Amino acid sequence: MWNELLFAFQSVATLPNFLAMFAGIWGGVIIGAIPGMTGTMAVTLALPFTFYLPPVTSLLLLVALYKGSTYGGSISAILIKTPGTASAACTVLDGYPLARAGKGGKALNMALISSCIGDFISNISLFFLAMPLAMFALRVGPPEFFMLMAFSLTIVASISGRSLVLGIIAACLGLLLATVGEDIYGSYRFALSEDMKSGLGMVPVLIGLFALPELIKMIVFRPEDNSQAMKLGDNRLTLSEFRGSIKSICRGSVIGVILGAIPGIGPSTAAFFSYSEARRTSKNGDKFGEGELEGIAASESANNGACGATMIPLLALGVPGDVITGVMLGAFMIHGLTPGPLLFQNNLGEVYSLFIGMLFSSLFLFIAGKLTAGAFTKISRIPQTLLLPCILILCVYGIYSIGASPFDVTVLLVMGIVGFAMMLLNIPAAPFLIAFILGPMFEDNMRRSLAISRGDLGVFFQSWISWGFFILTILFVTLTIRREWKKWRDRRASAQSAS
Amino acid sequence: MNQNRDFYAGLVATVFFAIVLFVLIPIYVKVPSFIPGFAPPPDMWPRVVGVIGLVMGILALVLAFPKSRKASGEQVTSLGFYVNRNKVFITRFALLLVLFVAFVYGLPVIGFVPATVLLLGILFLMTGNFGNKFWMIGLTIIFPVLLYLLFTEVTHTPFPEGMLFSGSLSGSLSDLVTLI
Repeated sequence: MWNELLFAFQSVATLPNFLAMFAGIWGGVIIGAIPGMTGTMAVTLALPFTFYLPPVTSLLLLVALYKGSTYGGSISAILIKTPGTASAACTVLDGYPLARAGKGGKALNMALISSCIGDFISNISLFFLAMPLAMFALRVGPPEFFMLMAFSLTIVASISGRSLVLGIIAACLGLLLATVGEDIYGSYRFALSEDMKSGLGMVPVLIGLFALPELIKMIVFRPEDNSQAMKLGDNRLTLSEFRGSIKSICRGSVIGVILGAIPGIGPSTAAFFSYSEARRTSKNGDKFGEGELEGIAASESANNGACGATMIPLLALGVPGDVITGVMLGAFMIHGLTPGPLLFQNNLGEVYSLFIGMLFSSLFLFIAGKLTAGAFTKISRIPQTLLLPCILILCVYGIYSIGASPFDVTVLLVMGIVGFAMMLLNIPAAPFLIAFILGPMFEDNMRRSLAISRGDLGVFFQSWISWGFFILTILFVTLTIRREWKKWRDRRASAQSAS
Repeated sequence: MNQNRDFYAGLVATVFFAIVLFVLIPIYVKVPSFIPGFAPPPDMWPRVVGVIGLVMGILALVLAFPKSRKASGEQVTSLGFYVNRNKVFITRFALLLVLFVAFVYGLPVIGFVPATVLLLGILFLMTGNFGNKFWMIGLTIIFPVLLYLLFTEVTHTPFPEGMLFSGSLSGSLSDLVTLI
């Protein structure tokens, strides 16, 4: 094994491989930072170029693009409240308030460091745990998925802000909008027009909900300081700030690795799951959503942790977990490599080279992130009256380019107005966001499970994984009800004493 | 103010989820005559969500109503009072809505680049801050064109040229942009 590793190290440590990784990471960061341009787009666009490259170099280029774009999404999420990718949606919640407070650089640094650590842990786990994790992932079927999603949805209670009722209303709105279009059995729901039959795109909805209300607010209310640029402030991340987030980074990375290894889950869910866990366990949990560095650390470590882990089912079983790994499966095939258990027998050299290359890519991500973030931080210096209209135009082009569909642009604008209305009515946007992302997975897995079991609810309690998530869900719901009851009683007591 | 907002949030949610439950689901969620296996019908989940939303909306109303009365001197501030007090804001918001609608409908007519140039220009005007006039004029023209070039060259997105510019004009427009 060690001989093969040494040989793989020698074959990776070449200038063309390093150049490919660096170009991939840098390109990915820039593409991920542009709203509407996704990692899938980056990997697909680069695929034709890989025909002319050696197998390992081309695979490293694609993996680097994927990792770079996942981190890149956090840049626009932090600086302009526009998640470049869906997996960075959670980063908006704490990143933008920090940027508004003149700590954009600090937030970017935390995002970069946690992304690199998450990525590194993910690569290490790929190296040592590919087979056992792939076997665990295979045990997760629709009932386990359903229980996991149910547990993830309980985070709505902790991100609802001052009113749990309004938080649940927002979540219901998100769940409802997620049902628009064709369901798993081919029935159309809420297809008010022909375009709505394919459902509402995740990116236009998310960008519309977060980026546009700021612009509408500025135009409608014209606040005094709207011509001012954000303060640059102190950009350095202190050791104590890093230490305060290290637990969330490690936990986020592990969550990313485990959820990333399960086909169909992906970085977005991992980021939300990690964020909710960090919020539940952190002593600063109350400050999450108002500009807490730990929130950024939790979501960024998980989404980048999931990146490497999505390669686990692909390499070990030949099962692509999401669209990007599906494209990568194509790249493997093009170069005569067939992912699956036989890959580890027939092409062990290439597999080890890929693993070592991925470890290097964590380092390249740090370098490229540092260089790029510095340039992007300058966005903070642009006055809001110039910046916000330009962001809308950028979003319009980015959204249109996803599917060349004017309907997506309409969805973007409508969601901007919905987001503005929610802002005026104090309805929190975060529960809407999580419900919209997790809702389809929750419903599909519930319906699949019931179809498999012929309507028997016992299907949800047949494995220890389901039981584990069920107990956690019940525990959390009970704690939330107790907390709300206590709050209500305290409020009533203080009102009585005042009167 | 917060209590009134909670009251209106509850009201909007109640009306919205009631419409979803009693109007939209019966009309727009068709239950097929045959459902494979024992799978729940397609309207099951939207109904569950609709009912929860409706209950929560009513709960928000119930919780906010007494507080609203207390906060605003024994009566909930009327919608008419709000409209009158916020006339300027409502006019600006209405203008923005008109702009968005005009953009969506104008897009296929005048084409993507001219429509985004117009949208950006009008948005700059609507911000009401003319301290950076030259930047505004420059960005209005250059920024959409740069984005058009980026997305056509990198992602090969076919942006609509517009019915007005179809034929010879469309050719000259794309030639001009490509030339730039």
